[in-house]
Amino acid sequence: MSFWRQAFEIARKDLLVESRTAEVALMTVPFAAVGLILIPLAIGTDAPLLTDLGPGLFWVVVLLFGVLVILRKSAVDGGPQRDLVRLLGIDPAARFAGATLATSLLVLLFEVLLGPVVIALYNPALDGWGWLFIILPLVATGMGLLGSLTGGVTTSLGTRTSLTPLLIAPLALPLLLGATQALESLERGRSILPWLALLAAVDLALAVTGVLAARPLEEAII
Amino acid sequence: MTAKTLVTLEDVGLRVGNTVILRRAKLTLEAGEKIGLLGPNGSGKTTLLRLLATLIRPTSGHGTVLGARLGTDDVFAVRPGIVMVGHLPGLYPELTLGENTRFVARLAGRAPASADQALAAVGLAGAAGRRADQSSKGMLRRTELARVLIIEPRLLLLDEAHAGLDAEAVGLVDTIADRVTSAGGCAVLVSHEADRLEVDRSLRVTDGAVEEVS
Amino acid sequence: MKFLRTRWLEVTALLVVGAAVVRGVTVAADVTQGDVQRIMYVHVPAAWLAFLAFGVTVVGSVAWLRSGKPHWDRLAASSAEIGVVFTGLAIVAGMIWARPVWGQFWTWEPRLVTTALLFFIYLGYLALRRAVIDPVERARRSAIMGIVAFIQIPIVYQSVNWWRSLHQTSSRNSIDAPLRVTLWLAVLAFTFAYAVMLRRRLELSLLEAALELRQLEGSQAVAGAAVVAPSLEKAGHHG
Repeated sequence: MSFWRQAFEIARKDLLVESRTAEVALMTVPFAAVGLILIPLAIGTDAPLLTDLGPGLFWVVVLLFGVLVILRKSAVDGGPQRDLVRLLGIDPAARFAGATLATSLLVLLFEVLLGPVVIALYNPALDGWGWLFIILPLVATGMGLLGSLTGGVTTSLGTRTSLTPLLIAPLALPLLLGATQALESLERGRSILPWLALLAAVDLALAVTGVLAARPLEEAII
Repeated sequence: MTAKTLVTLEDVGLRVGNTVILRRAKLTLEAGEKIGLLGPNGSGKTTLLRLLATLIRPTSGHGTVLGARLGTDDVFAVRPGIVMVGHLPGLYPELTLGENTRFVARLAGRAPASADQALAAVGLAGAAGRRADQSSKGMLRRTELARVLIIEPRLLLLDEAHAGLDAEAVGLVDTIADRVTSAGGCAVLVSHEADRLEVDRSLRVTDGAVEEVS
Repeated sequence: MKFLRTRWLEVTALLVVGAAVVRGVTVAADVTQGDVQRIMYVHVPAAWLAFLAFGVTVVGSVAWLRSGKPHWDRLAASSAEIGVVFTGLAIVAGMIWARPVWGQFWTWEPRLVTTALLFFIYLGYLALRRAVIDPVERARRSAIMGIVAFIQIPIVYQSVNWWRSLHQTSSRNSIDAPLRVTLWLAVLAFTFAYAVMLRRRLELSLLEAALELRQLEGSQAVAGAAVVAPSLEKAGHHG
């Protein structure tokens, strides 16, 4: 069975589990939406301010609340399930790829569902919105990769839910800057490409590390 | 060691965290053997099973499983020939029994139809649409036995082989183990209750060693 | 003489640190900033050590993954611990420096932001180490996290740098020659101090490992030994 076929099967299983629990769509998205309502109540509700802050807040919420997508139930296999997949002879890198694919698609869903909330509440400027078709998936992929990597090192640890956000948040900074500054560069008449390249570079570096680390990591867990 | 030898452990030591599970353990399993594995609670039966499944590496000594040396990357190639049924179910609770079984069949490179046949063979054709977390312990165990029918392993490792099963299902465990051994494989059944096991020979894990029980 | 032979590193470190302190206090102060500028002799070397220490951590991590020898893991862990301390020192010194010069504790200077993130990245690394009990499992997981973190650091730095250049221009001043000599001396002193601390920490972790092993052998912790036949008489009777 080919690498991508294995990865696809793993991703399909993760998404099927997610479709039953509906954690992202029915729990994480509403929670993040409440967050977007709370922020203006704390910092002020005048329209020009919110228009300015809207895009930045969207990305902060995506990266911070997005950690909940990474921590969701369907991303976590218990010991018996890990044993099952290992004994089926799945390439650990294919498992990494499959888990990343599933998480990335769910982060993308999270972004897409949260977008209208930001537009409705903050009325942000939407110049150059077409670029979002590239930026949103690049950020979602980065989050998916960070999720699988940190998921790997925190597997079966009791403190996983507290440890994962600490490991992810500082490393997610380039994703935040890449996403926010890309559109701001457009506004200032500068090239958007360095920022897109930054996002792509982050994704690439994480993907290479993840694939190389997949086997030693899987074999480390007792 | 003969051509029919499937598993050997030579002076294998195994330590998990601060606990010594095995000290210089010796073991040989031949093709066609049905083995009982006994031992009191916490003696390391489950951990030994996971060692035999190549899922943990020995801390010292040598061993081979299905021709692959333990602790080397050779084990990746032989894993698809091993089925382990642990005391906790290797199933995804949110998926149905049918989905769980088809997931295994697809990843093992078998036709999805073989999954349905296997479920029918263990008497669960009518429960394929039921979620695993809505099923009884006996049903989960039967679903896992269906996995043995799909994969047709050379090495079958059954933890708590008869725990929580009705008389019908106990018979099923023995039939499935016999299928594996008559096809030239080896089956290891862990149990607390020695008298319920119908096996060729029994081993006991005590004080870090594996001993033959007469 | 035996003392000098075994403790030459400590003695040298003491001499260099002493020289750096004397030089740092006596060299002419910066013309515009006055004495406050002297904190640079702590801030800059501490930041340098942060990078050096985490560089050593990644070397230890890679070497452990290749060889599986426990001393590489001990090197990675020891260096990260010291690195976190110096990263914290660099941030605090930077803030003390910034307050009188810029009127606020924090500036969004790229190196400062990156250093702060570095601090949290390695706090996470140490938290991960703490969370895993089995030594081999701990070594493997933290080696991979150490490498992931290290690869991301240049990207983090570059992203903050670009972000800054979009918002304001860089304000880097060149510094005078006597000050630069002092700065280099301070860097040398900090590096020696790091080497001493690393050596002591490694000695300590060797003792820790030996203690762990002795407890293990002493307790005869064979699986099953902790479970004995139940005896209900010991529970006593109530009522």
